[in-house]
Amino acid sequence: MPVSGIVLTCVAASADDVALQLAAVNGIEVHGVLPDGRIVAVVEADTVDEEVALVTGLQEIEGVVSVQLAYHNFDDLEAERH
Amino acid sequence: MGLTRRDFIKASAAAAAFAAVGVPVLRPEGVDAAEAGISWGKAPCRYCGVGCCVLVGVKGGKIVATKGDPAGPVNKGLNCIKGYFLSKALYGKDRLTKPLIRKGNRMVEASWDEALDLIATKYQQAIAAHGPDSVAMYGSGQWTVHEGYTASKLMKGGIGTNNLEPNARLCMASAVVAFMNTFGSDEPMGCYDDLDLGDTYILWGANMAEAHPVLFSRLIDNKLKHPKVRLIDVATRKTRTTKMADQYIAMRPHGDLAAINAMIHVILRDKLYDEAFIKQHVNFKRGKENAPYGLKDKEVFNETPADIKNLTFDEYKELMKQFTPQWGEKISGIPAAKIEELARIYGDKSRKVTSLWTMGVNQHSRGVWVNNLIYNLHLLTGKICKPGENPLSLTGQPSACGTAREVGTFAHRLPADMVVMNEAHRKKTAGIWGINPDKISSKVGLHTMEMFRAIDRNELKCIWIQCTNPFQSLPNVSRLRKAAEARKAFIVVSDIYPTKSTEVADVILPSASWVEKEGVFGNTERRTQHWFKMIEPPGQAREDSWQLIQFAKRMGLGHLFPYSEKGFHKEMWEEYRRFTIGAGKDLAPYEAYAKVRGLRWPVKPDGKETRWRYTDADDPYLKKGEGIKFYKAPGNRVNVWFRPYEPPAESPDREYPFWFCTGRLLEHWHTGTMTGRVPELRRAVSGATIEMHPEDAKRLGIRNRDPVRITSRRGSIVLPAEINGRSTPEKGSVFSTFFDETKLINELCIDAFDPLSKEPDFKKCAVKVRKA
Repeated sequence: MPVSGIVLTCVAASADDVALQLAAVNGIEVHGVLPDGRIVAVVEADTVDEEVALVTGLQEIEGVVSVQLAYHNFDDLEAERH
Repeated sequence: MGLTRRDFIKASAAAAAFAAVGVPVLRPEGVDAAEAGISWGKAPCRYCGVGCCVLVGVKGGKIVATKGDPAGPVNKGLNCIKGYFLSKALYGKDRLTKPLIRKGNRMVEASWDEALDLIATKYQQAIAAHGPDSVAMYGSGQWTVHEGYTASKLMKGGIGTNNLEPNARLCMASAVVAFMNTFGSDEPMGCYDDLDLGDTYILWGANMAEAHPVLFSRLIDNKLKHPKVRLIDVATRKTRTTKMADQYIAMRPHGDLAAINAMIHVILRDKLYDEAFIKQHVNFKRGKENAPYGLKDKEVFNETPADIKNLTFDEYKELMKQFTPQWGEKISGIPAAKIEELARIYGDKSRKVTSLWTMGVNQHSRGVWVNNLIYNLHLLTGKICKPGENPLSLTGQPSACGTAREVGTFAHRLPADMVVMNEAHRKKTAGIWGINPDKISSKVGLHTMEMFRAIDRNELKCIWIQCTNPFQSLPNVSRLRKAAEARKAFIVVSDIYPTKSTEVADVILPSASWVEKEGVFGNTERRTQHWFKMIEPPGQAREDSWQLIQFAKRMGLGHLFPYSEKGFHKEMWEEYRRFTIGAGKDLAPYEAYAKVRGLRWPVKPDGKETRWRYTDADDPYLKKGEGIKFYKAPGNRVNVWFRPYEPPAESPDREYPFWFCTGRLLEHWHTGTMTGRVPELRRAVSGATIEMHPEDAKRLGIRNRDPVRITSRRGSIVLPAEINGRSTPEKGSVFSTFFDETKLINELCIDAFDPLSKEPDFKKCAVKVRKA
């Protein structure tokens, strides 16, 4: 199962709200909210395709300025058949 | 319960993300064990022109992980979400792995020898019957430096034709011409550091948040840290960029040409200019006007020295008096008061202003002129060559700068700013290549638009396309597709996946991509980045330069490539580097790049890079105390051009009442041949849509997701409406993306182009819109 570490940049006033919404999404763990409005989170899904779909959806959350990717591990993907 | 390997991988993912935002976190013991067996190598990202630094993790011959490179100064440990596609782009199930040759309507597997023999025979036959100008090559800003250099030497120094073009003609050519006719040298004086160090950023028609997300994040970081920072978005459409801007200024399509002239009027009228700077560094010129739009085949328009008039500063001021803010408002739609305000921002000595633009300005039927006008703003106010205040044209492809521009794979160029029309340049090139100077033709080759039209006219007999997808990406593409389908030319396509271009090919060759080969890319800020081969390409796929050299051998031109098999990349680099030394574009020895996350040229004698050109604070070509010196420009003086308003090639009218603009969005890159490999993403973004203003939609009875028919004079297409989505065009305009190969948007686009740069205008034509 692929795992990624991401950083969301948010409008500072919305960061806590965004973090709450993220925490409710299956497959996303919020690891920290910084004072400047950035959020560190870990994403996991069954396939890279699902992972990308999940992250693409995050950009649509009100208050999210950008989603960036720090780390992506998709080792052991034998289960994922293209 | 003990921690699993998976938990450690997650800890590692979190630690990398924290590190990238500057929060140090200890990696728990066990992380290293969880990542055991992964070897990491550095590479620039495969996608856009930003040139982010990536770490690639390989295990068992496959890529299993990627990271934003924490040591990479461009992106400081973070990639945009296209980072997810770096591996997907290589591992799609329909990767091309064997050469294919057309037999009637079928493509049949062949050996490399069969395919290359056939290509050589066809090229030889065409050259024998019709001369070397009957064959061509069409390459890419995604070619590595080595691939572009191989192509240039083969076509220009071997076959003896300048019919070599990069797809960068479609994205950067206007910027190139304006750099040359203003500064005498291509590529920017500033760099990405300007995004961190300035306080005022003016975006001219650029959706940076989606097209250059990592750079936009740098800008936003600067803004979050420094309350003085202002971001002004001058655009024809509200986007994600607008959301973060302090001010959005709506502009009509093509309005930049009028608005900037009116701003200059204000700068001159109110004496907001820097007189000392102008006296020392600037000439005033007026060029050729009443230019055509390239709509007729073989239309010729050049600006020769005889067409250029020198002006005094007073004459220039007099000419600019006609462009009042009120006049500017009438044409651009930007209120006169806003034009005055923008002019005063450029003229404000307490503000460090950086202008940013990309395709909105470059893909413009007067794109060179708008580039010139933006330079005028900076040159008149002296806001240039200083940290945080520069004009910066952003590129779209990973090596549009390194390969297309620096190697010079355009129909008129040679390496390091040289041109085929210049005898001394041909001689210098021939000297380095070890050939007779007469072998390099002085005749400018076919530019991209004419190259593909020449197929339709039965004038071009053979074309080899590498690493790009013109039969989707060119404007008015149906004319070109019909010509190809009628088999009017012999077409070879080298790529990694089936595309709309392989569809019309006679031979398809499987290419190696990115870290399946060794390579060098050059990004927007003059940064040259190297990577080693990390994995094997699939099946029989081979590097593009290998393909070209095997072809060269069959053409009797193998002697042009005397490099050893093992030392190929280094030996070719050292030969290419000779062009750059002393030309103000100095590159470092090959091995230097293996150690660093790129170097910005000119690389100094001590091996250090240059962040700002033309200033004694940084540029090695200046002596201390010289201040600013534009040493590549004739007489060390740069040009402020008088460039008046001329209308677009096609504007809305009663029959076709809407403007139509095309572009890209964050998740898909170019024609989607790499990013389109993610099926889930396709569902998330759901193919091309037509963005409309809600009032226009209401008036036409169109609701969100309704199918809408869009028709231009060239084609018609049905797309779902997108209303109040992530972007909203201004009233009277509609917008669509060009990535979706099932909807050939470019059939609608007009094939008008800038008369100086020959870059087509994908941003404006007239369409009608109705509910389908």
